[in-house]
Amino acid sequence: MDLPPLLIQTAGSLVAILALAGLARWMKLGSAPRIENAADASRAAHLVEDGFTPVDSACDAAGAGALVRDAQGRIMVIRRHGNHWAGRVLTPQARATCESHPGNGTIVIDCGEMRFGRTVLTIPDPETWAAAINRVKDAHDA
Amino acid sequence: MPDLNPTQYAVPLFVIAVLAEMIWAKFRAPAAYEPRDTLVSLAFGLGSTVAGALLGGVAVWVFFAAYAYRVFDLGAQWWTVWWAWPVCFLLDDFKYYWVHRAGHRIRWMWAAHVNHHSSQHYNLSTALRQTWTGPITFGFLFAVPLVLLGFHPVMIAICGGFNLIYQFWIHTEAIKRMPRWFEAVMNTPSHHRVHHATNPRYLDRNYAGVFIVWDKLFGTFTPEVDHEPIRYGIIKQLGSFNLLWAVFHEWIGMITDIWRAPWRHKLSYLLREPGWSHDNSRETSDMIRARWEARVGAAVAPTATSVADRNRIAGAQEAA
Repeated sequence: MDLPPLLIQTAGSLVAILALAGLARWMKLGSAPRIENAADASRAAHLVEDGFTPVDSACDAAGAGALVRDAQGRIMVIRRHGNHWAGRVLTPQARATCESHPGNGTIVIDCGEMRFGRTVLTIPDPETWAAAINRVKDAHDA
Repeated sequence: MPDLNPTQYAVPLFVIAVLAEMIWAKFRAPAAYEPRDTLVSLAFGLGSTVAGALLGGVAVWVFFAAYAYRVFDLGAQWWTVWWAWPVCFLLDDFKYYWVHRAGHRIRWMWAAHVNHHSSQHYNLSTALRQTWTGPITFGFLFAVPLVLLGFHPVMIAICGGFNLIYQFWIHTEAIKRMPRWFEAVMNTPSHHRVHHATNPRYLDRNYAGVFIVWDKLFGTFTPEVDHEPIRYGIIKQLGSFNLLWAVFHEWIGMITDIWRAPWRHKLSYLLREPGWSHDNSRETSDMIRARWEARVGAAVAPTATSVADRNRIAGAQEAA
């Protein structure tokens, strides 16, 4: 049976791709950056949006993300994405719910973008942050 | 007639080079790679080959139709005209500069080209993150003048293939600078890192394919500065390793904007620059740069070590 050249090339490339990706995983390439404190959160916020300067922040207990707020009251959610950080300045489409525990609690943030998905963070005082997120009326009013 | 697809032959070299860079990364810069990001980049490369084969027919038809109206005729054995090859390569690279510039300044074309910029990493696998939807933009029309001049579509395709192969090796953080004469004329890892950066100072700069002289000629050249770490990717990072979302997200965003926009603004969402909005609710690259300039002013940028200094192959004073 003669297979079309494009099919053979595609199949060969697919094998090479899976092999390389598997090798990258086997070699343990990559890293898991952490947000440990307000300074880390500030640096990550600056990476998400140039010039974003937090005046308040709440860091995830596992270091996997943060919520930050700037002087204009804008709230940004930041979360780890592979080796890097990705985030969104929250808009009125954003919704937050929380599950509290003494001293710490979990906040679930849906930024309103389907593919960005939900971000789950364990932070101090999640109720206050959730209330602020649910009050956002526009991109500059948190 | 030559039956040559240079990129097809280069694929094994691409695989070997990515493998070599991964081994280098293992020992020198493990964070240069991320397995899921690598998988998405490589799948982009495979998908673009298939998409090109399936969707490229219209462009081929247009080129051969235009060739019938060529101004100069290189003869039935056009491939034997030796000087036509370097001239075609040079003009094709000039064409690439403009089609690439349009790819960043016209949202319809950006919807296809954004694929190449969607990784937050910059390594050889990023080079393979090629568009699936390029054939459904009008980018191929930029080559029609070359066809009308008399260059055979196959000659243009071969030159374009070599152009693409050249651009593979410049997607790396491992090489800091090439020799000065080379940096002056050719596109290099340093120049192209600038192109992939989202730092405001670098936005929409260094569109060159092979020869950086086009950027210098048309005012879009910016050199890499060593004191500012580069952030790669796009202004609004995807935050997802979903391949199909990475392929189609800007198309979905653009079509949604067109659908929602008042009638008199619909065409602008198709043809104006990415980030433009009729109500000024978003920022274009020019607006982001202006805001950055206003904020930073004459302030000294923070001291940092460039990626190439951290990850370099060559020593501090030697060209890699």
